[in-house]
Amino acid sequence: MSPRKYLVAALLAGLALPAFAQQDAALDAMTAEELLPRALEEGTVTVYAFTSRIARVEAAFEEAYPGIDMVAYDMSSTEQITRIKAEASAGIANVDVVYISDAPVVFTELLGPGLVLPYVPPRVVPLLDDNEKFPLLAQRLSTKVLMYNEEAYPDGSPVTNLWQLTTPDWTGRVIMVDPLQRGDYLDLMTEFVLRADEMAAAYEAQFGQPVALDEGIANAGEQFIVDLFENDLILVSSTDDVNAAIGALGQTNPPIGFTSYSDRRDNEDEGWALQVVNDVEPSNGIIFPAVLAVAANAPHPAAARLAIDFLMGDDSDTGGPGYEPFYVAGDYATRNDIASHPDAVPLEEFIAWSVDPAATAQIRQAVGDLVLSLQ
Amino acid sequence: MTTTTLRQGLRLDGATLLKLGVLALVGVLIAAPLLRIVLDTLSPGAIVAWSEVTTGRLSRNLLWVPLGNTLILGVGVACGCVLIGGFLAWLVVMTDVPFRRTIGLMATLPFMIPSFATALAWGSLFRNSRVGGQSGFLEGLGLAIPDWLSWGMVPTLIVLIAHYYSLAFTVIAAALATVNSDLVEAAQIAGAKRSRILFGIVLPVALPAVVAGASLTFAGAVSNFAAPALLGLPVRMQTMATRLFGLIEVGQTARGYVVAILLIAISALFLWAGNAVVSGRRSYATITGKGGRAKRFVLGAARTPLFLLAALVCLLTTVVPVVILIASSLAPSSSALFSNWTLHYWTGASNPSFAQGQPGIFSNPFILSGTGMTLALGASVAVTTTLAGLLVAFVLARHGRGPLAGAINQLSFLPLLVPGIAFGAAYIALFGAPIGPFPALYGTFPLLVLAATAYLMPFAVQTGRAVIQQVSGDLDESARMTGASFPRRLAAITVPLASRGLAAGALIVFVKIMRDLSLVVLLFTPTTPLLSVLAYRYASEGFGQFANAITVVILVISIAATLLANRLQTKSQPWLKS
Repeated sequence: MSPRKYLVAALLAGLALPAFAQQDAALDAMTAEELLPRALEEGTVTVYAFTSRIARVEAAFEEAYPGIDMVAYDMSSTEQITRIKAEASAGIANVDVVYISDAPVVFTELLGPGLVLPYVPPRVVPLLDDNEKFPLLAQRLSTKVLMYNEEAYPDGSPVTNLWQLTTPDWTGRVIMVDPLQRGDYLDLMTEFVLRADEMAAAYEAQFGQPVALDEGIANAGEQFIVDLFENDLILVSSTDDVNAAIGALGQTNPPIGFTSYSDRRDNEDEGWALQVVNDVEPSNGIIFPAVLAVAANAPHPAAARLAIDFLMGDDSDTGGPGYEPFYVAGDYATRNDIASHPDAVPLEEFIAWSVDPAATAQIRQAVGDLVLSLQ
Repeated sequence: MTTTTLRQGLRLDGATLLKLGVLALVGVLIAAPLLRIVLDTLSPGAIVAWSEVTTGRLSRNLLWVPLGNTLILGVGVACGCVLIGGFLAWLVVMTDVPFRRTIGLMATLPFMIPSFATALAWGSLFRNSRVGGQSGFLEGLGLAIPDWLSWGMVPTLIVLIAHYYSLAFTVIAAALATVNSDLVEAAQIAGAKRSRILFGIVLPVALPAVVAGASLTFAGAVSNFAAPALLGLPVRMQTMATRLFGLIEVGQTARGYVVAILLIAISALFLWAGNAVVSGRRSYATITGKGGRAKRFVLGAARTPLFLLAALVCLLTTVVPVVILIASSLAPSSSALFSNWTLHYWTGASNPSFAQGQPGIFSNPFILSGTGMTLALGASVAVTTTLAGLLVAFVLARHGRGPLAGAINQLSFLPLLVPGIAFGAAYIALFGAPIGPFPALYGTFPLLVLAATAYLMPFAVQTGRAVIQQVSGDLDESARMTGASFPRRLAAITVPLASRGLAAGALIVFVKIMRDLSLVVLLFTPTTPLLSVLAYRYASEGFGQFANAITVVILVISIAATLLANRLQTKSQPWLKS
């Protein structure tokens, strides 16, 4: 209702577009208290989120702000991107808040053409590093790293060099989600290629000789991907399948694989023994931002900003109810006043490669085609 | 004199206008989306997709390997279906096997069970620990299930044969019922051996039906999405349907459309070839000067073993999957299907320590709205297809001459050749963006209704034809003489006289939509949740119990509607008559 009111007002003033821009700028500068009455008037906020934890955020948000209905859809980042692009070309304004990983694609395909807009709640500006505020707000850092079963391997990780995964010991026993179905796994593959020099050094450390490249293969990173697939890599369609395969208790010879460090939080509830491999050459995987953005033409612009503000947590040590679902071992808050979870490897000691979204975006499609040619 | 000519001229114009209108309808619904994907792949930015898919470095995995798997599935399923369907048809129609009626009824049931239900049931039984998570019932009993029996080609073949054989059964049984018993008796009196009668008389008469059954089941198998997606992907087995789905899902639409066009071409080629064989042989089917009561083959000592075999096939493909689905929607672990039953997956509230906090399906507002949406879609499509089918059939029956009618006829049967998933892709391509003054339909209910209406058009026209043939053309003629308009004649004469047949046809359309996955899997959006897609998503995310529970809901609704349709329709099953 109210966007239409604004529109009518703006048209009457003969200032339609500038008024919209001004209105966005005005909303961007507001505090949560100032946003609240407008958000209440809007009454609802639609969120696309790449994590099932959004269901708990929804409950907490509706408790904190009775009168505003949060409608949350749990969709993979890949699916969100396809959908947001399709909705934009269809001229449909459906979503308000986009909570997504896959930053390389989001920056080039959603932020570039203006399908999503940046928004950083004013109160958290001093708490974040520059690369966590620009080009989009990063809420936390998430991971896709090598995990093993600590019940089956009580003495620590059975793997000390990634190249061991390409040896007969691990044939048919390395598992991950299909990189063509989930963007963060494609980012992981891309990172191997971007870090080709480190992969080459690790090869030499493992086998005592320089890596020999197959025909048409450009570097050690690509060669690692080829060798991994040829060693009967198992691809599944969701991280929960990976977690169960690696982590399920009572296995004698469990597989190893790449998944989210933070899924270790479910060990007790699900009967898993997931543990991270943090002592492996040259690295255990990637750490990347989960970003928050306002959809362009969001039907509920004030409620959208209020929801993002809520997701950034409060000033307590653990971030309060809005951040609580994410205050777990294996997720790292971007706010510098929220400490790492006590059960996790501290961020400074965590060896995962930090993803560079711009560099990743450049070669991602080519790596995707390489993966496709191997399936 | 002048008045008559004028009136004739006007009447001709009226008929032509009507035909043009109907042609525009089927053109927009059916031809436009298909043309659109072809044009999309020919645009300057996308045309490279053709060479990438067919010849480039990626072509092996984009096209050739999936194509090989698709053809293996198609041929394997066609052979299996003709063998099993033909065997059962022969038993039921030509022999003295006991409980013939029951076998005949059971053999038509598997087609009502959605193929993803059978695939889920297979997983609950045979799933092994390759992809981790829950293992199946048989591994729970301590049996080691090899990969080839859990995943990939073998289980996909078995599941698809179990689903499609009833199609072959129905076609072949109907043909066998027309075998002239005089011929068989004459041969018996002349002392011909049973095998000679079978190969000399029965098979030639049934051949067109066998070919028809084979090409129909082939087309079904190559376009099936659910079974290879659920059973093949964990071992990286791709068919053209799953490859198409994956490409569209990750936004590689140009490549996806190329795969879709090739899939349509293959499916169409085989259906056309089957059709050509059948029409070339038509002379056999016309020898139907039917004699008296058919004399049945006496099975003798083989009677009981053959009966047991048939009963086993029927039970394994109807009762067993349903029982497994129900049990596994109640059991926390599919490795112990019959222990610790709980209603959590049906009615439980969200509990963070149970299934990642997923509430039971009746406590999940998203699934409840999906149920409403699915029922609404089924009902709407039942109405729209019945109307559209009636209109097209009426035009073809009363004004069936000339190139316009020919075009209408060809177009309205075109969807038979188009796999549902390719049809869904075409609909997104056409209606995903605004066209002129019309808004984009992406993510809206009308898009689902339009796509489903077009997809079921051949079926609806078939029903419409049967119905119109029951109503004598004389009545329509007389009404026209009195000056009744076309809508008036349709509403006052044809529809009331044919209401039972129409209602039965509408119910069957309703069932087809309820259990369809391949058409809607790409059209799905969070704002238009549908039960079959929700079940597929739960299954692919490892929440088997929820998937099975939703599937049971679909089954119950489908079976109820089918039984109702059977009651309305005095179902013609000539092979059941003694």
